Amino acid sequence: MDPKLINDCVHCGFCLPTCPTYVLWGEEMDSPRGRIHLMSQHVEGTPMTPEMAGHFDACLGCMACVTACPSGVQYDRLIEQTRVVVEQEYERPPQERAVRGIVFSLFPYPRRLRMLRPTMGLARRMASFLTRVNPSLGAMTALAPRVERRERLPRVVKARGERRAVVGMLLGCVQREFFPQVNAATARVLSMEGCDVVIPPGQGCCGALSVHSGLDKQARRLASRTVRTFRKAGVDTVVVNAAGCGSSMKEYADLLGYDPGFRVMDLSEFLAELGPVAVRHPLRRTVAYHDACHLAHAQGVRAQPRELLNGIPGLELREIPDSAICCGSAGTYNLLRPEAARDLGDRKAKAVGSTGAELLVSANPGCTMQIAAAMRRAGADIKVAHTAEVLDASLRGAEL
Amino acid sequence: MTLAQIGVDVRQAGQGDAVRGVVPRWVALPTSVEEIAAVLRACAEQDLAVTPAGGRTKLGWAASPERCDVLLDLSRMDALLEHAAGDLVVRAQAGLPMDALAAALADKGQELALDVPPGWGATVGGTLAAGLAGPRAFRYGTARDLLIGVTVVLADGTIARSGGKVVKNVAGYDLGKLFTGSYGTLGVIAEATFRLHPLPAGRRWVVAEPDAAEVPAVAAALATAQAEPSAVEVDRPRQDGPVALAALVEGTAAEARAEALREIVGSGTVTAEPPAWWGRIPPGETLAEARFPPAATGAVLEAAGTALRGSPVSGRMLLATDERLGVSTLRKAVEEHGGRVVVLRTPDDDVDRWGQVSALGLMRRVKERFDPGRRMSPGRFVGGL
Amino acid sequence: MDELIAALHSLLPADSVITDPVRLRTYECDGLTYHRATPGVVVLPETAEQIARVVRLCNDFGVPFVARGSGTGLSGGALPREDGVLVVTAKMRRILEIDLPNRRAVVEPGVTNLAITEAVRDQGYYYAPDPSSQQVCSIGGNVAENSGGAHCLKYGFTVNHVEACEIVTPEGDLVTLDRMDPGYDLLGAFIGSEGTLGIATKITVRLSRTPEAVTTVLAAFESIEQGGQAVSAIIGAGIVPAAIEMMDALSIEAAEAAVACAYPAGAGAVLIVELDGPAAEVEQQFARLREICSAAFELRVAAGPAERAAIWKGRKSAFAAVGRISPAYIVQDGVVPRTSLPAVLAAIDRLSREHRIRVANVFHAGDGNLHPLVLFDDGTPGEGERAEVVSGAILDLCIEHGGSITGEHGVGVDKSRYMPRMFGADDLDTMQLVRCAFDPRGLSNPGKVFPTPRLCGEVPGVRKGVHPLVESGKAEQF
Repeated sequence: MDPKLINDCVHCGFCLPTCPTYVLWGEEMDSPRGRIHLMSQHVEGTPMTPEMAGHFDACLGCMACVTACPSGVQYDRLIEQTRVVVEQEYERPPQERAVRGIVFSLFPYPRRLRMLRPTMGLARRMASFLTRVNPSLGAMTALAPRVERRERLPRVVKARGERRAVVGMLLGCVQREFFPQVNAATARVLSMEGCDVVIPPGQGCCGALSVHSGLDKQARRLASRTVRTFRKAGVDTVVVNAAGCGSSMKEYADLLGYDPGFRVMDLSEFLAELGPVAVRHPLRRTVAYHDACHLAHAQGVRAQPRELLNGIPGLELREIPDSAICCGSAGTYNLLRPEAARDLGDRKAKAVGSTGAELLVSANPGCTMQIAAAMRRAGADIKVAHTAEVLDASLRGAEL
Repeated sequence: MTLAQIGVDVRQAGQGDAVRGVVPRWVALPTSVEEIAAVLRACAEQDLAVTPAGGRTKLGWAASPERCDVLLDLSRMDALLEHAAGDLVVRAQAGLPMDALAAALADKGQELALDVPPGWGATVGGTLAAGLAGPRAFRYGTARDLLIGVTVVLADGTIARSGGKVVKNVAGYDLGKLFTGSYGTLGVIAEATFRLHPLPAGRRWVVAEPDAAEVPAVAAALATAQAEPSAVEVDRPRQDGPVALAALVEGTAAEARAEALREIVGSGTVTAEPPAWWGRIPPGETLAEARFPPAATGAVLEAAGTALRGSPVSGRMLLATDERLGVSTLRKAVEEHGGRVVVLRTPDDDVDRWGQVSALGLMRRVKERFDPGRRMSPGRFVGGL
Repeated sequence: MDELIAALHSLLPADSVITDPVRLRTYECDGLTYHRATPGVVVLPETAEQIARVVRLCNDFGVPFVARGSGTGLSGGALPREDGVLVVTAKMRRILEIDLPNRRAVVEPGVTNLAITEAVRDQGYYYAPDPSSQQVCSIGGNVAENSGGAHCLKYGFTVNHVEACEIVTPEGDLVTLDRMDPGYDLLGAFIGSEGTLGIATKITVRLSRTPEAVTTVLAAFESIEQGGQAVSAIIGAGIVPAAIEMMDALSIEAAEAAVACAYPAGAGAVLIVELDGPAAEVEQQFARLREICSAAFELRVAAGPAERAAIWKGRKSAFAAVGRISPAYIVQDGVVPRTSLPAVLAAIDRLSREHRIRVANVFHAGDGNLHPLVLFDDGTPGEGERAEVVSGAILDLCIEHGGSITGEHGVGVDKSRYMPRMFGADDLDTMQLVRCAFDPRGLSNPGKVFPTPRLCGEVPGVRKGVHPLVESGKAEQF
């Protein structure tokens, strides 16, 4: 917790209305301004009390406050530093430790996730029982989508037509296991737009979940492995279709202390820069686009996905009210803080519902799972898709 | 010191100085804030009750004072103290007639956007103390909204200022608001500072006589019209008679905007002169004011068994009659729609002039603090304040 | 305090009473961090009735209370009392009613200023007062401070847009102050009383119709003098724009660093002029404005809402943005008659040189409301003190020119010591009469606005010796 970074905060409060937990509870210590105040208390010598740790844990890390802050406070760095301190200095109650243990030994490891997946169907049927045992376990099962088909991606997908670029592609953990069709669509879109897509086998977790949870060592280990993988692949640009992964990978230099040697770009960011060449076929859909926090706030990518969607003939894009407020997914938040996540999910579902759109598009698997689950709860099922899938359908002239 | 010893002009009062039937003993004619203070100190010493007066246009309004020994006539305090045209601000003594003020401001192309009936004789102080709204209150607010500074003299002779001569100012409590509409029961308004507006380049009125039943809907449409009328007024000289409607537009493009409003009304003419009744107080021995949410316009038109004039868009209308006003029935009907009825002037002494007031307890305490001896126009106001 | 806390627990849900010291400290200041005090206890009521009960309890125990909304005030108006209760209205943020036929909305005090506009924007309405912090500041706080904003030049302040308030009086009664009611304008006195006359629990605000046309112009001048002349000329021409804002070179630099507002390079001053109203009117005014601003080396006109927002972005973020060019700063707020602006700006410049303290000027030029940002490095010994001197001298300048020590930030705890410079003892004593009528025991936000409040019941005049209440430790004098 760097006192210099803490001092940047002038206590103006502009962050308050963008903070999901402040929106929920209206309490100072669960706002970015309040958390920064807690950080300064800790720096001044107040020990890490359970209350303090609780308020830091309650932060979703959505970074909406970073966007809102006129003073340029680097809350993202502050909260990451703080989470490390929490992990070092605060001993959590046993049950909480157990749940965190499960989450962090599961999600960053695609193979473990995959082994678990067949049991998810069973788990879903057991959801109400699990919720009673521990809300986090219940949340885990309620969110998991039914996976239609496995798609195996080759090591390289060649560009269609003239080759305009060579890019690496990150598969992601959750994306790969729960949303393989998104990765397939991403590869196809890139290829149809003239890119050779290099997909190194054996890529693991990028480390994002660990960074966001203060597991410093695990984060660095996973990050350096990912860097090695893409360096070996020899690409100078890595395209990422999961917002949470992208935002962490963009911070690799800070995390690892050296330049990874490639640039990381979100899929929409990359495509917008590359410019469209492939023909867009009409897609007559009303679409609500959800800003994933780790895309909009952490990476500042807001205009590009809208631009891509607006470029599809027949598609009508609708804005979601209070779009800057997090949906409550926030990486592992919906697993670790299920009640708050659920409240936020319900708010977001209501906002999405108010647009009357038939399709919800987002660039982050966590958000999509979270909002779709919330809408199901409210009895207002909505079709969901990743930006890549919508583009893929338009480029191929296929239905969504 | 007695009243005679303070060096302020004092004369014996006559029948013509009566405050709603109560004839004072003396009339004091101060020429400065200090002289007002001297009069009030002397009155405090001898426990004399005081009623301030300006142009005496509203002396017969409200209730009779419980007692009145001295009529504090402010007509000699009629100076325009400062007109800072570049700052759109004017400071004047309380006895300055509003007509004279308007003429002086017009010379510099400015105005105080309070519509006091021209030629009436009302003064700055009286206009504030009664706080009556005119047609353009819809756009510019009422006296309390345009008053930015005030000098008052309390019952014990204390001279106090609040506000100042800048429009934007949040230092301290706003005594000006408290004194505006207080009917002289808290103290004497001695000087006032107002924010001004530039005189508009042009003025046009749309004058029409829509079907009485359509007036509420037409008024509602005018209230939200983006051609932005400065005022919308109706006049109904007889209870069951026709309703005249007029809307005022001010600005460089007044003509075109007035045409747009005429479209909304669906009939009428655009003129450069107001109708004869515009901004005047309707004639009648009894005068009442209905204040109501604008959407209750229809209900007020129906409930008022009298001639009526005022603003359906601000939700303020004056009801006038020479007959006995059925106040309780009227009040019940208007209050049902969230409104209030205040009887401003009536020969009838048994009338409940004010109706229910939620914060009367607090008001009593304010009165007790400002005028513990109950010497300032006692009994003239709400709840016998 | 322990007994009071136990009683509070019986009134409110457990998580609405904060007693943990670490949590309490996060409430130690509002938007002004210079003054800090950890509250004795914080409550987060959800209904007016709960607030009334809390206030009655405070009366029972003789304990002071302070109301707080979003905690964005810049004069320490919501500075807590260590021996008191902080009543936070942040959980009371329901819009209770939107009544378009009567052009009004009824809201709870914790609703943010901007939320009202957002709720009615699609229907073609908005809530006119727009303080720079409008996305976060609460309506309850706006009522307490009588907040203005950039557009109050034409549209006025909170007091001109509030129709009624339900309040909890300092003694714990629920009372409605309504503009429609006959009697004293207690609503007018309550608004802007900075929490010293009670707590607003329900507010009826007036909604305004969205103007047909809005034209936002950014004019860049080589010098602040040229900008000032343009302001005078605009007013002189009989134009009342919705807003006239001015920023000097230093504040432009800060805004640029913070939000990359891309104001014209090399400008000594930029003027943001917003004209709104009927299209025909705005068009003619704009033609006139263009002539008046002929000295500007660049004139930008916003083509749409996005460009309008871009022009405003730099201005609205200016305060916090100064954090980018200075480790610490004081946001000052004073008012001078518009015609005195050139003289006062020149005097501020002299002060700045004399004390070697940089001053960035951001101001609502249309109504002479200055916001000098006095910059200093709190790491350099003596600089903070010099900044204080400059900041205070600026207020003296305002008083000297017939202005005010605060145009919109309020007096709070920060400026109460300047009140005797602007007002005489009789003026302050008379204001105190209002205070005593509402709050005879002085429990509602004590220590704010007035420097040496006379105890209610005390006869005015020369005070002799030590007051018995002071002697017994029940009250203190400043």
